[in-house]
Amino acid sequence: MRCSRCGAQIGNSYVRFNGVLLCEDCARELKVDEVFRRQNSLFDQAFPMLGDFPGVFSSGSDLDFANAKIRCPRCGTTLRELESGGQLGCIECYNTFNESILKDILKRQGSSEYMGRKPGEAANIKLNTKAEAAPSDDKQETAEAAPSKEEAKQPETKQEDILEKVKDADLSGFTDLEIEDAMKKAAAAEDYALAVKLRDELKSRKEGN
Amino acid sequence: MWYENDGKNMDVVLSTKIILNRNIKGFPFPPKMSDSDRENVLGMVRQAAGSMDLNFVRTDELDDAAKADLYNQFFSGYAFLNSDAKTGYLISKTEGLGVVINNTDHISIVSMVPGTDVATAYKRADELAVKFEQSMDIAYSDKFGFLTSQIKSVGTGMQLIMTLALPGIEKTEGAVNVLARRVEKYDWQLIPMTHQDGIRESGIYILTNVATLGVTEQEIIDKAQKVQDDIIKLEKSCRKNICTKKKGIVEDQYYRAYATLSYCRRIETAEALTLINWLRLGQDYVDTSEANLDWKKINKLTQKVRRNYSDSAGKGSRPKDKSMARAALIRDIMKGGQAS
Repeated sequence: MRCSRCGAQIGNSYVRFNGVLLCEDCARELKVDEVFRRQNSLFDQAFPMLGDFPGVFSSGSDLDFANAKIRCPRCGTTLRELESGGQLGCIECYNTFNESILKDILKRQGSSEYMGRKPGEAANIKLNTKAEAAPSDDKQETAEAAPSKEEAKQPETKQEDILEKVKDADLSGFTDLEIEDAMKKAAAAEDYALAVKLRDELKSRKEGN
Repeated sequence: MWYENDGKNMDVVLSTKIILNRNIKGFPFPPKMSDSDRENVLGMVRQAAGSMDLNFVRTDELDDAAKADLYNQFFSGYAFLNSDAKTGYLISKTEGLGVVINNTDHISIVSMVPGTDVATAYKRADELAVKFEQSMDIAYSDKFGFLTSQIKSVGTGMQLIMTLALPGIEKTEGAVNVLARRVEKYDWQLIPMTHQDGIRESGIYILTNVATLGVTEQEIIDKAQKVQDDIIKLEKSCRKNICTKKKGIVEDQYYRAYATLSYCRRIETAEALTLINWLRLGQDYVDTSEANLDWKKINKLTQKVRRNYSDSAGKGSRPKDKSMARAALIRDIMKGGQAS
């Protein structure tokens, strides 16, 4: 399960608010976290619910209360149905619930640019023979092997390489530090379009978390 | 059954399943479809599949035995056994390959292989998908790729599901969490398997891809191989570790499980799976010379216990009869017989 606001993995505690799943942090930010508070705190504050509710409306731009009214003209699927179940009714829904709405929901999928094959063309699948090799039995190595390999590679790459890489690749594969680094380099190289893109990515990450 | 064949790494990976979802333009998605729409889609898909050497069946015309057979082959979920919905199946002569019509999407191509052979499973499914795409008007946009009824599979429309048996990781403290986090880094998901009646299937996990948009089919498959490789390594080292450190306990549990499964007269699914879990843990790492078991038998046992909905002890029969039939089936496999 993932939080539909920030996309983070949800642990033991979550809030289902208007059919939207929220993690503890987001619930707190949107002030719908009554469930997480202890009994005492309810008594401490006079009318906590009343006090908090305006906050929900003002800060909760993600939670549109008109959700139930936006519906697909062809099949009648409402935005609320879509947000709660991830279920669309027809092809027209993809037009009705426009890009910005879909983007929010697609957050958990990383990039929203289609990269797969075209209809009617077979995908050329090559077998990665290296991955087929027989695994060894070493525990310590396995626990850290893959991430450390990836991390070890990055520092070796030269400045230009990082820029080249960041330009085309899906940004979700890079760490915050790498992106910040690349952003500075892009600005120095006067590639402002790229720098802006990286800045936006960083900003959205910070907001997301 | 397809899962009785040999596959790679079957001591850890039970099966690999690929689902490719496609929809036809001009119809709403199955949850919003009317009966006449469903009839039309069934007819259209059947016609398009005319040259593909597939055997067409309609769910509402199937008898209980045929439904149980599809269920036992992992083509459908438990709810299907009692359903009369206007869905259909196209079953290939190749074992473990088929098409589900009108279920969650108009066309869901299902390809299952034993073990880890992701590429073969994908190629088989893709071949069918390409043929459907060439002969039908498939819902596709340049921006979103293949349009599916579930947002989570829009894009390649591809779900890759691996069923893993991980007794070593499960019995090592904290290892499941480590693994789950690890898998998340690859943008995949590890979910413990639950049986239809809510019982945890001990030691059995589902590994599935999350991203379907913004990745190519090749990338999904490459990642699958990386993730599975990591898991197999970790699982084997966990098994080895437990079996060296707690040799006495594992060996004892192994033979207890062996004896119970060999001689039981009534047994429940959950208990049987817990016992099989011990067999899997010890098989390669303790002295098993007194037991007459190999991986092929253990795998068959696992899958048969998970899916053995037979007609004689199926619908309407009492739990007692079911547990007796299950015990008989298990005893037969343990002896090395050819149980159905």
